[in-house]
Amino acid sequence: MDFEPKIVGFLCNWCSYTGADLAGTSRIKYEPNVRVIRVMCSARVDPTFVLKAFEQGADGVLICGCHPGDCHYTEGNYKTMRRFPLLKRLLGDYGIEPERVRLEWVSASEGHRFAEIVNDMAAKIRAMGPCLARPALTEDPAQR
Amino acid sequence: MEERRIGVYVCNCGTNIAKMVDCEAVAREAEQLPGVVAARSYKYMCSNPGQEMIQQDIRDLKLDRVVVAACSPRMHELTFRGALQGAGLNPYFLEMANIREQCSWVHEDARAATSKAAALTRAAVKRVVFHEPLEKRYVDMCPATLVIGGGVAGITAALELAGADQPVYLVEREDHLGGNVARVDLTAPYLDSARDILAERIARVRENSNIRVLLESEVQQVTGFVGNFTATIRTGRDGEVATTEARIGSVIVCTGYQPFDAARVQSYGYGWFPNVVTSFDFERMLRSGRIVTDKGAPPRYVAIVHCIGSRSQEFHPYCSRVCCMTALKYAHEAKSALPEAYVYDLYIDMHAFGKGCEDFYRRSAEIKTIFLMYRKGSAPEIRQAGPKYDCEMLIRVNDQLSGEEVDIPADLVVLMVGMESREDAGKVARMVNISQDKDGWFIESHPKLDPVATTTDGVFIAGACQAPKDITDSVAQARAAAARILGKIARGRIEVDAVFAEVDEERCSGCRMCNELCPYVAIEYDETKKRSHVISALCKACGTCVASCPSGAIKARHFTDQQIFAQIEGVL
Amino acid sequence: MAERKLQVALYWGAACGGCDVAVLDTNEFILDVAAAADIRLWPIAVDGKYQDVEAMDDAELDVTLFNGAVRNSENEHVAKLLRRKSKIMVAFGTCAHLGGIPGLANQFSREEIMERAYLNNPSLEVGNRTLPQTQTDCAAGQLEIPRFYARVYRLADVVEVDYTVPGCPPHPSQVKAVLTAVVTGTLPPRGAVVGASERAVCDDCPRKKEEKRVARFYRPWQIIQDPERCLLEQGILCAGSVTRSGCGVRCPNSNMPCRGCYGPLPNVRDQGAKFISAVSSIVDSKDPEEIDRILAGVPDIMGYAYRFGLPGSLLQRSL
Repeated sequence: MDFEPKIVGFLCNWCSYTGADLAGTSRIKYEPNVRVIRVMCSARVDPTFVLKAFEQGADGVLICGCHPGDCHYTEGNYKTMRRFPLLKRLLGDYGIEPERVRLEWVSASEGHRFAEIVNDMAAKIRAMGPCLARPALTEDPAQR
Repeated sequence: MEERRIGVYVCNCGTNIAKMVDCEAVAREAEQLPGVVAARSYKYMCSNPGQEMIQQDIRDLKLDRVVVAACSPRMHELTFRGALQGAGLNPYFLEMANIREQCSWVHEDARAATSKAAALTRAAVKRVVFHEPLEKRYVDMCPATLVIGGGVAGITAALELAGADQPVYLVEREDHLGGNVARVDLTAPYLDSARDILAERIARVRENSNIRVLLESEVQQVTGFVGNFTATIRTGRDGEVATTEARIGSVIVCTGYQPFDAARVQSYGYGWFPNVVTSFDFERMLRSGRIVTDKGAPPRYVAIVHCIGSRSQEFHPYCSRVCCMTALKYAHEAKSALPEAYVYDLYIDMHAFGKGCEDFYRRSAEIKTIFLMYRKGSAPEIRQAGPKYDCEMLIRVNDQLSGEEVDIPADLVVLMVGMESREDAGKVARMVNISQDKDGWFIESHPKLDPVATTTDGVFIAGACQAPKDITDSVAQARAAAARILGKIARGRIEVDAVFAEVDEERCSGCRMCNELCPYVAIEYDETKKRSHVISALCKACGTCVASCPSGAIKARHFTDQQIFAQIEGVL
Repeated sequence: MAERKLQVALYWGAACGGCDVAVLDTNEFILDVAAAADIRLWPIAVDGKYQDVEAMDDAELDVTLFNGAVRNSENEHVAKLLRRKSKIMVAFGTCAHLGGIPGLANQFSREEIMERAYLNNPSLEVGNRTLPQTQTDCAAGQLEIPRFYARVYRLADVVEVDYTVPGCPPHPSQVKAVLTAVVTGTLPPRGAVVGASERAVCDDCPRKKEEKRVARFYRPWQIIQDPERCLLEQGILCAGSVTRSGCGVRCPNSNMPCRGCYGPLPNVRDQGAKFISAVSSIVDSKDPEEIDRILAGVPDIMGYAYRFGLPGSLLQRSL
């Protein structure tokens, strides 16, 4: 069967989750590869969640928050922004390609944008193939 | 862990979900998950029969957790929480899977949509296992209010609250009440006297024993949270200083605006030409009853120029809202004081949107005000008139109405200076923990639906500190803020959301990583215990501190690590 | 008749020997242990052969203190053997607990490591480029050496571990406490981490903690530090906040940042992820470019985040 990437999306409740809902009410079609986990603010996304997602077999992780300056919690998204560079470097050191993890700002009115991001990410990861982080953890003991 | 008894309910939403997702298959798959004792699909879960089905199962099957796979939780989470509560289950034992907005409505491949719906439902089931019972909590509401700023908004708010027999601290920096309105002669568009409007209200403030007026005073510090603030107020200048500690439940910030400094726009020569004055200088003349030039003579030509510092790329991009009508008021007052004088009005656009304003504009034309329209970005230029002219200055303006560049005579030029946020507004914002927009105005909780509240519970804003506005709107906001506070006082206690962060002091190492991160200053560090803790009434549950706590000592209620880990496992 | 003496084994897997030295660092206390216990295997100090262990009954040993990670087939074989022969298996020290310094090798494949060590290393004698083989035929017959695994494992990845004593090495006072608990039979419930605090190093660190806002990160030699103040607040990459205490704050008290050897806090699954959170949280900027510039001052994030715990992290190894 053709490879279909599994992408975990962490969406903030106020902007991005609402934006994703808007894509729905506007019947904007996009790829079914993203499975969304709602958090109150993108700043709730502990880097552990991202590692956990890859450990569990995700092929990509998408974090979405309000645009800078528009955070429901004043500036939570700036804290997300600050965590991201080191997380990305760490994932790079793990050998996880940069295209597999994205931080995007999606407002409550940007249903289209959410759909475009999902489609773009799904296409890129589909071309790259599965993430090997999980298989690397579950090798046969005899192959040690 | 004890065995859970979970019910899973997959909504067809008519055909909204069912036409793309095989709801029955989703239910059958969910049935296989550990802890699930019933999984059903139904036409409309949110309907009465749908909710009753859940409640019946809760009673008959002794369910202790419920998953509803349906629309977005933003749509019906409260509905289903209500259903759980109605059947005697803690409302937070619910988890929803969004299989409509984020699944059936956005996908075109039924097989993929069904598999995604099943994954989202699985994640909800795995998550709900770890849901904890949460209870709403209440804190007492102190009925006293601190009103910062004794302008028309502050005075109005204070009177409104005191009129309902609630105590008020009205703090004013100057030695008198009235704010910017006290500097004004008549008001537009009905030409009532500002002095009359204020004097009566200030007298009522003075007489009201519920209002404690603190003049020449500034608020130094506000600590605490909604219903339970403490304010430190400093009164007096150099030498004789008194400090007042006020226990208050709410704060209304009414700190107003400051006028734009006309000297910043060089082409008008303010500060250079003695007869180029600002609107506030002109008000002073009007209040004294003498419109004269620096030579003491009445001007034959009066020119009023709009938008000084407003609607400009260089200074303030916004419209200051009151200047157009104030300019027309000047035209009326000038004409009535000096019937022989020519009055020119130089504007970009005439903003006459308020009640009675368009009428007022028409009447200004009737009294022979000469209107000239200049273009945004091409400001009129003022120069000294030569001896051959019968006027002191000439104003070159590219008039859009006639399409010609003309020189108009002027003996007195009035610059309509715009409003800007006060220089020290940032200090106030930090003190009461509210935000400012890019122009320095305080930000309301919602621009349309919640215009006087802020993101800090218990702190309200009214008047021109929020954005340029006239007396009418300032008064309306002040009364609205007072009404909001009276509503809270009437309830006597404040509901604190059950979802907030809490520090496990047994695990906190006092590293203080979280202290600076909280946008609501809800995290307090106890110097003696060397531990941080969250003031739950201040916490808005964003979870920033939780993600950052290096010890994993902060728990986000209803968004715990365990719950989110379970969800991650579930979706994959 | 004298009471039966405690039967003890101490073993090292992929380790530096520091954990064994830490046991000796308990000084004269070790004599009390020797009086109370028969040390049946301790390769660094006592003569003993694997055959002796193989000859034991199952569960004949009361306790094995296993230090070192599992890097090769011998480590795994002995770990399993000792597990079978021991009532209590203790992962002793950071390498057994989380993989330790040897665990950093999980950033590289076996082939890369072999190539670097045996083929492409400037210290190798010219012309001597030999890769070790598991089996070699020679005049005396076939020789066999342990197989070098594709990656490093924690002890708990290959056998069931009853207790964990963290530290690189465990602090001698903690070693004493643990050995006393074994001798006196006062160990906590199975599965516990012993000889460490439930709180972070910051809890015991005497340095003053205030506002955490950093505009530049420093390596220890790049800055003259304020000896009274929190190192992280000074921009020095200290892992104290993400690390269990129990070490006696040895590094920060010596003006060096904590490197994290006691591992993550009990509620934390991944120490490195928390290290990222901690370091990023204090970056004092809202501008993406400036944030990047400030964080560029954090060198080798993998090394900092998992200096002692890569095999114990969620993803365990680089691809």
